Amino acid sequence: MSDLKGKVAIIGVGEVPTGKFPDRPCVESALRSARQAIGDAGIDKDLIDFLIPIGAVYSSAYNSDLVCSRIVEELGLKGVRGNAQVFSGGASCSTSLKTAAGLISAGIARVVLVVHSDKLGTGVSTQEGIDLFALAGISKEWEVPFGQHYSSIAGLVTTRYMFETGTTEEQVAAVVVSNRKWAELNPNAMIRKPTTVEEVLSSKVLSTPLHARESNVLADGGSAFIVTDAERAREWVEKPVYLLGDGSRVTHFCLSQEKDITRFGYREAAREAFGMAGLSTSDIDVAEVYDSYPVFEMIALEEMGFMERGESGAWFLEGRTWPGGELPVTTNGGMLSQGHTGAGGGMALLVEAVRQLKGQAGERQVQGARFAVLTSTGGAYVDAHVEILGTEVP
Amino acid sequence: METAKIPSKPLPQATPWSAPFWEAAKRGELKVQRCLDCGKPFFYPRIACPHCFSEDLEWVKLSGRGKIYSFSVVFNYAPSAFADDVPYVVAIVELEEGLRMLTNIVTDKPESLRCEMPVQVIFEPAGEDFVLPKFRPVDEA
Repeated sequence: MSDLKGKVAIIGVGEVPTGKFPDRPCVESALRSARQAIGDAGIDKDLIDFLIPIGAVYSSAYNSDLVCSRIVEELGLKGVRGNAQVFSGGASCSTSLKTAAGLISAGIARVVLVVHSDKLGTGVSTQEGIDLFALAGISKEWEVPFGQHYSSIAGLVTTRYMFETGTTEEQVAAVVVSNRKWAELNPNAMIRKPTTVEEVLSSKVLSTPLHARESNVLADGGSAFIVTDAERAREWVEKPVYLLGDGSRVTHFCLSQEKDITRFGYREAAREAFGMAGLSTSDIDVAEVYDSYPVFEMIALEEMGFMERGESGAWFLEGRTWPGGELPVTTNGGMLSQGHTGAGGGMALLVEAVRQLKGQAGERQVQGARFAVLTSTGGAYVDAHVEILGTEVP
Repeated sequence: METAKIPSKPLPQATPWSAPFWEAAKRGELKVQRCLDCGKPFFYPRIACPHCFSEDLEWVKLSGRGKIYSFSVVFNYAPSAFADDVPYVVAIVELEEGLRMLTNIVTDKPESLRCEMPVQVIFEPAGEDFVLPKFRPVDEA
């Protein structure tokens, strides 16, 4: 596994603004993101020889277009040898990066374009979105008949996490405040209005102890990245962003079958990823941690070892994760502020990690960032992925 | 917000190998498979033991006693089919035999629920063909 360290690099990223754009066709989000990534890499489009279109959730008809190479034709990519969908829900960024790294390492592909687009903000109504997700990755035999859905999943996890760690509801709400501080500085984010712990806790309760403002908001969006081998990357771009470490675990399908819903598989995943990179948490300049709901961001940070278990709440509340803080966390605002675009929430964090490392994060820029950690998870938090990215190979 | 009519409740999409579980529930029994090779019981039903992969399995009756591992009271933005049920309680119950299942807690006092609270299985019909195992706090039984 450690053979992968520094072998491939991300050479370009792209992203369209996230939000409600009823007049922007879903495919436009994919095409503009891909075009931006190709421009960012500064390469000829026909050098791309493999395309990975991440699954879109809002429309199975649109998704079948992606499966059948629509993006290749729309962009006029002449050198593509394969178009294959990779889809692991919110973890798709990580599994597509693994897949791209494998294809490149095996000599099957040289330049892989990964692209995502979805239209969950305006392609479906709010209730349709809830109903769509209530069947997405939730067991139709063992959980759906009991009214399980994503708010109740987050409620169950938050209840047990607070019970075991003594974390307060103010500390949980502080994750929203922290992510929003970053979103205020992100022109591509959906929700940029400053908020407070009091405001979050005064919003209506969805599923105890979860408040409406502690829930992600479904949105339209698109993003893309390009991966190639390290030698080509050094030749083609000024600042390749190397994949230095990668670790992951699939732990369950039904939430009830996860042996510890206050931990998931992040500890093992992080041990693998940091071990491969030869780095520790103190080397990390920016942590792009998958949120969707506050508790998952808290658990991932603690299990990776950035602080003791049960301590992350104080970090979020005291501003240690905010702009200017000692550990910048989820610097695009996350799905709690940038918006939840299906599988795109994780992709957006990868794009953000690359921008931070290349010094292209505008007002959000963490000065001198060299190493970033990225996490993602899909479905009912069925897997835990940790990647370490950096602009140098330590 | 739409005022579409409430769709009917989603019923369990059962498999051939889970049929004995649902048949037992109709008789008011909570049954799971147990592996005759490694001896471990497991939930939910499988085609083979998830521990040792043996196909040599038997069905055993559980006590129906357990405790709340976690719970959440749903108040807003429930799936459409459950819109008339709010507030309702989704919970993960840990059974005496060490197995966990997702279920509902039936209670008039959702505000009194706590993690680790003892609960006892009850059976509630869902449509004409299914009976769902749900739980009630022991002190409300």
